[in-house]
Amino acid sequence: MKRLMLALSLTLSAAALAPGHVRAGATDTDEERAARWSEIKTSIFGDRAVTASESAVKIDAPARALDAALVPIGLTLADKDNVKGLSFIIDDNPSPYAAHFTFGPAADPGEIKLRVRVNNYTNVHAVVETKDGKLLEAAKFVKASGGCSAPMGMSDEEAMKGMGEMRLKFGGEVQPGKPAEATLMVRHPNFSGMQMNQVTRDYTPARYIEKLDVTYGDALVFHLDGDISIASNPVIHFGFKPEGKGPIKVVASDNQGGRWEQSFPVPSASN
Amino acid sequence: MRVIARTAALGVLGLMLGAAGPADSPVGVPEPEGLYTGPPRGYTPATLKGATVVDLKGLEKLLPENPVLIDVVLADHRPQGLPADRPWLPTHRSLPGAVWMPGAGAAPLAPEQEEAFLARVAALTGGDKAKPVVTFCRPECWGSWNAGKRLVAAGYTRVHWFPLGVEGWQDSHDTAVAKPDPAWTAAVSGRAAQR
Repeated sequence: MKRLMLALSLTLSAAALAPGHVRAGATDTDEERAARWSEIKTSIFGDRAVTASESAVKIDAPARALDAALVPIGLTLADKDNVKGLSFIIDDNPSPYAAHFTFGPAADPGEIKLRVRVNNYTNVHAVVETKDGKLLEAAKFVKASGGCSAPMGMSDEEAMKGMGEMRLKFGGEVQPGKPAEATLMVRHPNFSGMQMNQVTRDYTPARYIEKLDVTYGDALVFHLDGDISIASNPVIHFGFKPEGKGPIKVVASDNQGGRWEQSFPVPSASN
Repeated sequence: MRVIARTAALGVLGLMLGAAGPADSPVGVPEPEGLYTGPPRGYTPATLKGATVVDLKGLEKLLPENPVLIDVVLADHRPQGLPADRPWLPTHRSLPGAVWMPGAGAAPLAPEQEEAFLARVAALTGGDKAKPVVTFCRPECWGSWNAGKRLVAAGYTRVHWFPLGVEGWQDSHDTAVAKPDPAWTAAVSGRAAQR
């Protein structure tokens, strides 16, 4: 109820602010944002050229997020057979490099969905790395703030209950020739390290999923390098090639030495 | 029972709709006697004795007078446990022209830090206690309330508290990248600035 009231009051105060005089055209702000992106780009990709291509990857994100600590992001990749990796960057987050996916032979990387923390009104960028080594970027502006430091609304112990438990929900029966989809849910607080305990005023140390591997039989679907910008209890939606054998195996590890592993039988008509 | 619950819910909604002030909360927080020393994040009072509470329109009306804009948003805390090789590039956007003194709204504040804050405001106002000053941070943040309270106690006569903060501003205006005020940063130790 308290949360609901808070949400309502925020909505009301937001509604009270008339949408107003946003200046059109290039402003100092645009320049500052471009400079920021260029700084981040260099820190991640070095000297490599990153070419703008709104068609290579489409970012689906709410223009205004309801909850800055849980912003749903959808990434649709046009030329999925030519994709090697995918980076997601939240420019104004203090740790901007939110996620990096490396796709394996069992991947069907047409669409990836995840949920992230957004610290400020910011551009977000998706960068696709093609198999021939090209980098293609797309951007979107997202209005949300305070996501990285937002407390979880429960004690740390409570937030860590059942840590490492996983669920994998399939998009239906897996049949050869039809693209297969699944949603992975991992119970893990993914503490950002920026969340302050309001009573003791101490910060909970960062504890987040650093590496996550999903394999189908012997083949890699994807490897994820995670970050504190991924929302608590990570949920990742992905596609995979249906022609594999055996279970889907997920191995997750965090930056404090936690490691969890679970296998899921693939619901198949032919099995 | 269900009817009672529904009536109560409607009552709460009615109270919220009736709440017009920018700092109003659904729970009606009273002003503390002095500085607020509780959890820094939470519902704030609708008022600040001795100061004017302004919403966005009020702030816009005040801007032609070139008020001193004081931003007390906490600096992002570098996470303990974040591997050293992860890029850590904190950035802060604020009202253009604002002076950012991270954590200057904390309470208690060490005496020398309190002194540094007041000295800095004195310099920014040119010693004119009647110059308009605006304190802000983020919504539901006590820091800007405390900063305003300190300035009222120090004898400033035109203190304005803008409880909607950066969020309330950036909905309809550009923000600018702000760096922590060097004079303030020099006065506080690294750790204290993040509190």
